[in-house]
Amino acid sequence: MIRRCALALLVLASLEAQQIETVTLPSQSPLVTFRILFKTGAAADPAGKPGAAALTAAMLAQGGSREVPYDQIVHALFPIAASIASQVDKEMTVFHGSTHIDNLEKYYGLLRSMLLDPGWREDDFRRLKTDAINHLRVELRGNNDEELGKEALYERIYEGHPYGHGSIGTVSALEHMTLDDLKAFYRQNYTRANLVIGLTGGFPKGFAEKVTADFSKLPAGAPRRLELPEPKPARKLRVRLIEKNTRATAISMGFPIPINRSSPEWPALLVAQSYLGQHRSSKGHLYHRLRELRGLNYGDYAYIEYFPRGMFQFEPDPNLARRQQIFQIWIRPVEPQNGMFALRAALYELDKLVASGISKEDFESTRQFLSKFVNLLTQTQTAQLGYAIDSKYYGIPEFNGYLKTALARLTLDDVNGAIRKYLHPTNLDIIVVTKDAQAMKDAIQSGALSTIVYVSPKPKEVLEEDKLVGSYKLDVSSVDVVPVDTVFEK
Amino acid sequence: MRRFLAVFLLVAALAAGATQAAGKIFPFPYTTDDLPNGLRLVTVSTGLPNIVALYVVVRTGSRNEVEPGKSGFAHLFEHLMFRGTEKFPSEKWEAVMQAAGAQTNAYTTDDRTVYHAVFSKEDLDSVLTVEGDRFQNLKFPEAAFKTETRAVLGEYNKNYSNPFRKLYEALQETAFVRHTYKHTTMGFVQDVEDMPNQYEYSLKFFDRWYRPENTIICLAGDVDRKTGLALVKKRFGAWKRGSYKADIPAEPPQTEPKTTKVDWPTPTLPIVAVSFKAPAYDDEIKDSAALDIALFQAFSENSDLYRRLVIEEQKVDVLSGDNSDHLDPYLFTVIARVKNPKDVDDVQRQILEAYEALRSKPMDAAKLEEVKSHLRYEFALGMNSTARVAETLAPFVGLRRTPETINKRYALYGRLTPEDIQAAARKYFVSQGRTIATLSHKPQSTGESR
Repeated sequence: MIRRCALALLVLASLEAQQIETVTLPSQSPLVTFRILFKTGAAADPAGKPGAAALTAAMLAQGGSREVPYDQIVHALFPIAASIASQVDKEMTVFHGSTHIDNLEKYYGLLRSMLLDPGWREDDFRRLKTDAINHLRVELRGNNDEELGKEALYERIYEGHPYGHGSIGTVSALEHMTLDDLKAFYRQNYTRANLVIGLTGGFPKGFAEKVTADFSKLPAGAPRRLELPEPKPARKLRVRLIEKNTRATAISMGFPIPINRSSPEWPALLVAQSYLGQHRSSKGHLYHRLRELRGLNYGDYAYIEYFPRGMFQFEPDPNLARRQQIFQIWIRPVEPQNGMFALRAALYELDKLVASGISKEDFESTRQFLSKFVNLLTQTQTAQLGYAIDSKYYGIPEFNGYLKTALARLTLDDVNGAIRKYLHPTNLDIIVVTKDAQAMKDAIQSGALSTIVYVSPKPKEVLEEDKLVGSYKLDVSSVDVVPVDTVFEK
Repeated sequence: MRRFLAVFLLVAALAAGATQAAGKIFPFPYTTDDLPNGLRLVTVSTGLPNIVALYVVVRTGSRNEVEPGKSGFAHLFEHLMFRGTEKFPSEKWEAVMQAAGAQTNAYTTDDRTVYHAVFSKEDLDSVLTVEGDRFQNLKFPEAAFKTETRAVLGEYNKNYSNPFRKLYEALQETAFVRHTYKHTTMGFVQDVEDMPNQYEYSLKFFDRWYRPENTIICLAGDVDRKTGLALVKKRFGAWKRGSYKADIPAEPPQTEPKTTKVDWPTPTLPIVAVSFKAPAYDDEIKDSAALDIALFQAFSENSDLYRRLVIEEQKVDVLSGDNSDHLDPYLFTVIARVKNPKDVDDVQRQILEAYEALRSKPMDAAKLEEVKSHLRYEFALGMNSTARVAETLAPFVGLRRTPETINKRYALYGRLTPEDIQAAARKYFVSQGRTIATLSHKPQSTGESR
């Protein structure tokens, strides 16, 4: 039923006449997938209007078009089991969805009117604004300590930077947002210069040209790339404790790295990250030391690219490309009495990695893993299309082939060189979501030994190492405590 | 539209070398093979290149946890299975999976535990070797067992920072009296906390349930029957049958409506769940399929209730329904998160009215066709990768041991009439089968210990 497109069919064309970039991957699949992407996002939110990009996209994807009210769009999409979703990150906004080819005309007709002729209805606006505020207050602060910590980490690292607010915005900015703010954002950013039309599947001949012609109605716009200043790394360890009445303690830590997927050194750093903490995998080193050996929590992972919603999915979503990325460690919730030990254990392992690098054996096995695993990242046609768009954005060839070739050329020295050059156990930000923040603050500042209580006997070497972990020096520049209800408020 | 889709799927399947009959929703050819030890192998050639998905479905979930104090053990086993064997301790198992570039994980539900790996086809034998070994020879020392119980507690802690989870826990505990669906898959928290003391029981649990006659292996992707069967025989053929039969307690009929309230310690919006006892999964008897249709008709994004509560009145920001397939009678549940606490009673009233509307008259025939169309296109859109095909298959083979149940179930949907939907609604949406659970923010008082 489904045919993968041959790589030779990859067409990356810049249609000069319409100034519209297109990425098409035609195949024999009975499904047609769209990724209509604008190279704009939360980094382009106007001053004082964090959340404008995300709410604008929500108005398009979850609001009515001028001709068709939202409830009728829902009604029309229901029998064909199709949907139109939006994703807004700092530099990219994408509208994506798939339809069976039986229903292509109906689906595309709705998609086109929603994106090109939005309805801007007051009642849609009221509903979506409330949803966004509830997302911050209820979903993030209330229900998901892990994502809260991760988003707060990004906010902290990028303070005063165009990436310095969560893409959803802040409660106060959303409360003051007007429909005119969104219309202005749409006019300025939804332009041909920002547009990339992504299309894959068994669409008929001439269809891509028709889509391109339709989207030529958007204003030309000027190709503009937001200037991104270098983020200022934390001095020593900068700790923020988010106080919340919650069962367990969630920890995230990280720092900016000066490379992204376009850098020749990125594959080397990817090997280091995969070795240290492959996402949701039991093969990572952190997972092994913290969870498997010590039973501290549910999992411990590392990242060199933004990966939201990781608790709900195994593969990252495409079209979250950013010119600036951070290195991040994610410690899943631990029992509060083990919070300090877990924090130190993560830093201890990072320190060891930086000091000693990885072994030849670990290098070879991680490289082999990634060379095959990359195929799993692009199993679906929507993922293939998303990765193709991202590769174009980063200026690299087709992702799977590129990564496999780069991995084949890598040496152990490349990886350990990248570790020494880009990773460090200091000058990092730490975010902890925990209930007794003051006690943790005192523990951090006192430098007192951290212990862990086990439910079973541990080998002598583990207990010996626990002493090193528990006394790992925390060279802290600041520790502050913020109540959870102030996070993402202003 | 349905007919057109069915014809299309036939053409697509034939193009992939299939011999499926017309009208069947599952678009790929499959085979089933039974080994002498009772293990069943289901092989699905998806026609997609390079990748194979292995799903090992053990028909043991929290439903099988019949002894008091032992809830959560099926899920604990999902973790313990990664602790390795003498031949392949966990680091060696990891090394094999890593060399295959595999994505591996597992999950547990009320009815089953599923172990899955997606990897490159050339590694099929090495993956089956380590998988066959751990299903037959799992060995974990007591110390490792205790360590893993703490990871499970960590998972409980992670999950229960979410009020929806807590509400479901209360709902199940209230709705059921005797059946093991009374507890969630995570188990009662006191049982989870006591797990470190239950090493001996864990050995017994493995011995009872991890047996070939209780297991189905699904192989999907770039794999053929001959190769898959030969390797599965080689790696799983010596697995010994078991003899244990659990006496899953039958739930007595509910005789009166029930309610429960959950206090949530941190700020959140109130949530209301309105639930009715519902029938077990079936691919021949109409009831459970008819209730699926009712769920879409009355509570999906396309329903009048959604349009009113979410889009027009904007009283609710989450409206979701659940009629998940179960081996035994379970629950049909509608959950709404209410934006303003003062609207909770009104929202609850409107949900009950939507249930009543299903009972009071047959649904519109055109609407029924829309739901049927939705179900078929939803299924077709989901068949977009080898991993998704295997993932879709696993629950069904857990229920009926064959992919054919998918075809039968969707054919059943196709035969349903508005009168069938109404009859099922009248049978199950009765006040004596109802449980309502609500959750709202209530700060914990301080200075008192009980």
